Amino acid sequence: MLIHDLFLPLPLVVLPTGTMLLLLSITWHRSATRSFSLALLTLLLTLAFTHHRLTTFLHGGTTFFTEDLWADYTAALILLSSLCILGLSWRNIARDTDQPPDEYPLLLLLGTLGAVTMVFSTNYMSFFLGLEILSLSLTGLVAFRHHHIPAASEAAMKYLILSGFSSAILLFGIGLAYTATGSLHFAPPDPANNAIPGLPLAATIMILTGIFFKLSAVPFHMWMPDVMEGASVPVAAFIAIVPKIAVFSALIRYFGTGDLPPFLHGTLSAIIILTILGGNLLALRQTNLTRLLACSSIAHVGYLLMAFYSPGLIQSGAVAIYLIAYTTATLGAFAVISALATQEGTDGTNIADWKGQFTKHPLLASAMSLMLLSLAGIPPGIGFFAKFEIAATGVEHQRNLLLAVLVTGSIIGLYYYLNIIRVMLSPASFSSQTDNRRNNPELTALVFVLAIIVVVGGIFPAWLIRPVLPASASVNTAPPPDTTQETDSRTLPP
Amino acid sequence: MPVMILFAASLTVIGAVMVITRRIAVHAVLWLVVTFLALACVFTLLGAPFAAALEVIIYAGAIMVLFIFVIMMIGPAQPESDREKEWLRPRAWLGPAILATLLCGELLFGLRATPHTGTPAPITPRDVGLSLFGPCVMMVELASFLLLAGLVTAFHIGRHRPETP
Repeated sequence: MLIHDLFLPLPLVVLPTGTMLLLLSITWHRSATRSFSLALLTLLLTLAFTHHRLTTFLHGGTTFFTEDLWADYTAALILLSSLCILGLSWRNIARDTDQPPDEYPLLLLLGTLGAVTMVFSTNYMSFFLGLEILSLSLTGLVAFRHHHIPAASEAAMKYLILSGFSSAILLFGIGLAYTATGSLHFAPPDPANNAIPGLPLAATIMILTGIFFKLSAVPFHMWMPDVMEGASVPVAAFIAIVPKIAVFSALIRYFGTGDLPPFLHGTLSAIIILTILGGNLLALRQTNLTRLLACSSIAHVGYLLMAFYSPGLIQSGAVAIYLIAYTTATLGAFAVISALATQEGTDGTNIADWKGQFTKHPLLASAMSLMLLSLAGIPPGIGFFAKFEIAATGVEHQRNLLLAVLVTGSIIGLYYYLNIIRVMLSPASFSSQTDNRRNNPELTALVFVLAIIVVVGGIFPAWLIRPVLPASASVNTAPPPDTTQETDSRTLPP
Repeated sequence: MPVMILFAASLTVIGAVMVITRRIAVHAVLWLVVTFLALACVFTLLGAPFAAALEVIIYAGAIMVLFIFVIMMIGPAQPESDREKEWLRPRAWLGPAILATLLCGELLFGLRATPHTGTPAPITPRDVGLSLFGPCVMMVELASFLLLAGLVTAFHIGRHRPETP
């Protein structure tokens, strides 16, 4: 066995091992319970090993992975979200006797593996492989919806084609970047010292296009509501959370936390404005809760990009708390939808179905309101401080236009978030209490834990505002370190 | 040499366009072979004979056989002989055949004429193998997981289900 100059974060060892064990156990005996517990165990073990790495020797050789606080932080967030989503989907899958549900945990593990790979990667090759593992397993997950096979297949097909197209653009950009620099190191090519001046620009723009598509920033957002509507509720939560964290983490890894290349400023401002306004305006007229949350997640990507666009002292803390706030509140909303769906026997995604929930299920309805208020950025929830920090990064750089857009977007957001609470408060149209309450303690517990995180994080936000981003000194701040890094990586075999 | 590269590259594009515009799957596959051969020519003329050989052996060879096999298996609506007669009309296969012959000649010429002197030594299969089992071993593993994800997804979507309303 040749283990020389390997540098591996341990999650990338534990997670594939668990996936292979799961596959073996499926070939031996198909049982939903066993697959679920194996997947759960794998995710927990991976989470435990997040801070560790396996390294034999580290010289200037080709590095595919890195391991620092930022990677650990986002990987832990991804793993925790996957754990929650596994918990959400348990009822859905266990009820389904038509089809063997073993593939669901397998695909979920594979998707998580792709996301974690992206988080740790410092090389185009590992980044792209991670991205594709994530996209392909997402396609399978989207199609995994019993009783709604045509809708789910349509959504999966849409996702497959659009994601393949965007991957092609991304790959073209990576090829151009390789042409420009001769290295697969995960950093934007420097336009200053290049033979063909347009090449690095084109490469960066194409790579950004691919990344923005996966993030569903506004000119490339069309797939998001459709795909999330077609998928089942836990998978919709997965789409809204895990790929976004992973791609955003890779975006920060790519550009670093220093100043962005000057030619990107205009583009980024335009995309942020479009994303915030577009996401919020799209959400206004939605009657489907999943579509509404999809549009709101587009808007939240806009806020996150604003933090990305404003490097500085506050940026790190802002990104840290915003990721947590977005993840917990979105997960919480989807957990309430799942809990309600199993209790009512409906899908739970039609907003009109939520009438009178405050009288029927007061606890769940309060939790839902808390999550929505946090997403809207109202003080008891963690979302207030998150949005406050985002605004602070904008103020630090005096980006007045973007701040105005942020405020406008938040006001529009208030309307549709509060509208759901209004619907839940209004009396139910029919009082035929179909009292077939099934107990689902794991969903209630999950909602409870997420609600506690949202409240406690909102009261003591200082615990969560931590410098997690990679230090800006190492990544393209000034030409001299950049060029040394470049020559360093240029000598390596690709 | 640049003329030949441009010729092969333009054939790649033409072949790819023909692939997605053909109505019958077998004809599309014929054009796909042309596309792969043209791509292999581009690789050879750019000085990457190993990549070109892989392109021909794996894509134009193994994967195409698989495609044709699958196409033959699917959709036995008409009698076999009629279908094959319809698939193999001369005007369907003549174009790809001529182009493929041309490209094969170009490929042979390129392999013969590639100068093996100069500082960047050509990458041999040994180098590739050492790199795959050395520093890139994790990439190989990830690529296999990518294939696994694709396989499970395709299996799940393509599985025969009883029609339920």
